[in-house]
Amino acid sequence: MHVLRKWSILCIVLALALVSPALAQQFNWQQAKGTQLRVLLNKHPWQAAIEPHLKEFEALTGIHLVAEVYPEDQFRAKVLVELTSGSSSIDVFMSMPAQEGLKYMRAGWLQPVDEFLKNPALTAPDYHWNDFLEKTREAMVVEGKLVGPPIQVENTSLMYRKDVFQKYNVKVPTTLDELEAAAKALNGKAMTDDGQPGFGIVARGKRAAATSQFAAYLHAMGSTWIGPNREPMFNNEEGVKALEFYGRMLRSYGPPGSENNHWYEASSIFSQGKAAMYTDANSLFPVIEDAQKSKVVGKVGYALFPRGPKGQYGSTVASWGLAMPKSSKNQKAAWLFMQWATAREQVLAVQSEKGVLGARESVWKDPKGLTKVPADLRESLTVGSKVGTPLWNPPVVAVAECRDAIGAAIVTSIQGGDVKTAANKAAADVKRIMAETEKK
Amino acid sequence: MAFPVLYTLYMSVHSWFASSLTSPEFVGLANFRRAFLDDERFRNALWLTVYFTALATVLQLVLGVALALLLNRPFRGKGLVRSIFLLPMVATPVAIALVWMMMYNPTLGVMNYLVGLAGLGPYKWVSNAAIVVPALAVVDTWEWTPLITLITLAGLATLPLEPYESALIDGASAAQMFWRITLPLLRPTIIVALLFRAIDCLKTFDIIYVMTQGGPGFASETLNVYTFQVGLFYFHIGYASSLLVILFALVLGVSLVLIKVRRGSW
Repeated sequence: MHVLRKWSILCIVLALALVSPALAQQFNWQQAKGTQLRVLLNKHPWQAAIEPHLKEFEALTGIHLVAEVYPEDQFRAKVLVELTSGSSSIDVFMSMPAQEGLKYMRAGWLQPVDEFLKNPALTAPDYHWNDFLEKTREAMVVEGKLVGPPIQVENTSLMYRKDVFQKYNVKVPTTLDELEAAAKALNGKAMTDDGQPGFGIVARGKRAAATSQFAAYLHAMGSTWIGPNREPMFNNEEGVKALEFYGRMLRSYGPPGSENNHWYEASSIFSQGKAAMYTDANSLFPVIEDAQKSKVVGKVGYALFPRGPKGQYGSTVASWGLAMPKSSKNQKAAWLFMQWATAREQVLAVQSEKGVLGARESVWKDPKGLTKVPADLRESLTVGSKVGTPLWNPPVVAVAECRDAIGAAIVTSIQGGDVKTAANKAAADVKRIMAETEKK
Repeated sequence: MAFPVLYTLYMSVHSWFASSLTSPEFVGLANFRRAFLDDERFRNALWLTVYFTALATVLQLVLGVALALLLNRPFRGKGLVRSIFLLPMVATPVAIALVWMMMYNPTLGVMNYLVGLAGLGPYKWVSNAAIVVPALAVVDTWEWTPLITLITLAGLATLPLEPYESALIDGASAAQMFWRITLPLLRPTIIVALLFRAIDCLKTFDIIYVMTQGGPGFASETLNVYTFQVGLFYFHIGYASSLLVILFALVLGVSLVLIKVRRGSW
């Protein structure tokens, strides 16, 4: 009897061991059934694309979703106020870690998801975390901890007029030197529909707004915002070179008044056909390819951001992602939602239906994923998101304040002022701001 | 009504970085010391506030009174013209700012075309650090000159006729009558109009924020715009409160001076 029982137990254990891989395939999406989940969304193309699919999540998991959508400014304020108050009932919110990640992490508001991702009981075996483009994963990490999965990616890239480059026989720039040569060669050449002259290049020049795109020039030149010892580094030799370069390009070959141009003004000039090149986020392609408003539809190429003098890549990798507050009482359900929303199927859906730039490599390899996206954007985005830098913002707590300080140096450079002095002043300001806001 | 003012006063002597978990810390007058001694952006903002206010109010005053004198004469369609003049005042400032921003756009805007007809320009308007404040003052003037016109017209309607009759008998010229009779009699009215506009200009926020956000660089960052940044973007609530107290003191000071001038005590 005893022996028999021992044998039967052994048999059961063996059987279970054999069956368990099969069981794992049957990932239990229903494990948080009945939970109510509060999700805060920013008004954004991704939100618009995923909303029609939310019912599928509820059907799959039995979790009831309460999704709230706010325009960006109110959205950020709402999340901040709720988290500050300490009595937040948010379970999942959209977040850009490079913008607010450090502040939220240091305040202890974010629940890292590393453990959820590693746990086979909580993460489906076909989730394939490594399918996300390398630097988009890195962009979601704050102080060594994973905040959540990326939902949309964008790179600073080079948008250029294919027709103009061909007409004047200019090679598409792959280095910063070639970028300047091309801007010089094309500045003042006829390029609008009615043969009017245009500018060599256009880009943002407005104080804080310019910094996120200047980041590409800074890194291609071989500098960065903050050094390893947490000291400002953008005022080193390469950094000053990058500032001078950016200012010189816009001053000499760009539209007058660049120092007040945000992406809206810059993209208007470009889509009116008044500039040969435009460096900004490639996620602006729907504006440029908008047949209602743009005069350059189908004429624009989307190239990788030019490389620096030593071959450095400048392409930035900015990610919107999902995050969960530490205060959430439904973390398991929150993780299921994050996982579902960024599973291959959903990423393919939002990318193919609405042209939202997803972060999964397999979706970019799928012909269906390319239906709404210009063909050459695929290459520059997939390459850029592997070799680029997630540091499109200085990695500090007081991002907005530091961007204003650094932006002032960019404006000075565009105006033709003393760049080195301006860079040193900005560095001193950033150092002071960091000391004030990053007290341990 | 008292609570926000008192709370701002209370916060102004504290240091509080709103996004951290620390509570406000009492720092006495350190915020004010920092503003006046260490903060270049504050001193720049203070100067720009005064510069913008002086420029805009003087422009509006001269134009507004001149228009009132013109409109005070009898002519056909007077009522219609008066109503049209009031339109800028009732429009939304944000909408006005957006329209002017398009007009000022150096590449696509109409202003460079217009000054081009006169053989001038092209200018960079609000993108040029040297002329951004006058360019903004022009927008404010366009919007608010009618208010001065309106108040002055009301003043003109109440002027007594006797002084003019005696002046005519004495053989005074039109210019003499204006400088010696009209202007002195209008003085209290004009100062009221000036008071309204000066207070408003010191606090101007919408058109500046919409058009330049204080740029290029910090070339049009007035006190109100700077305070907005410090409080709502940088989250230094304590320091922003101190800046508000300073702005409040400035507005109060200017108002008191003007009220004194109106009473003729100076």
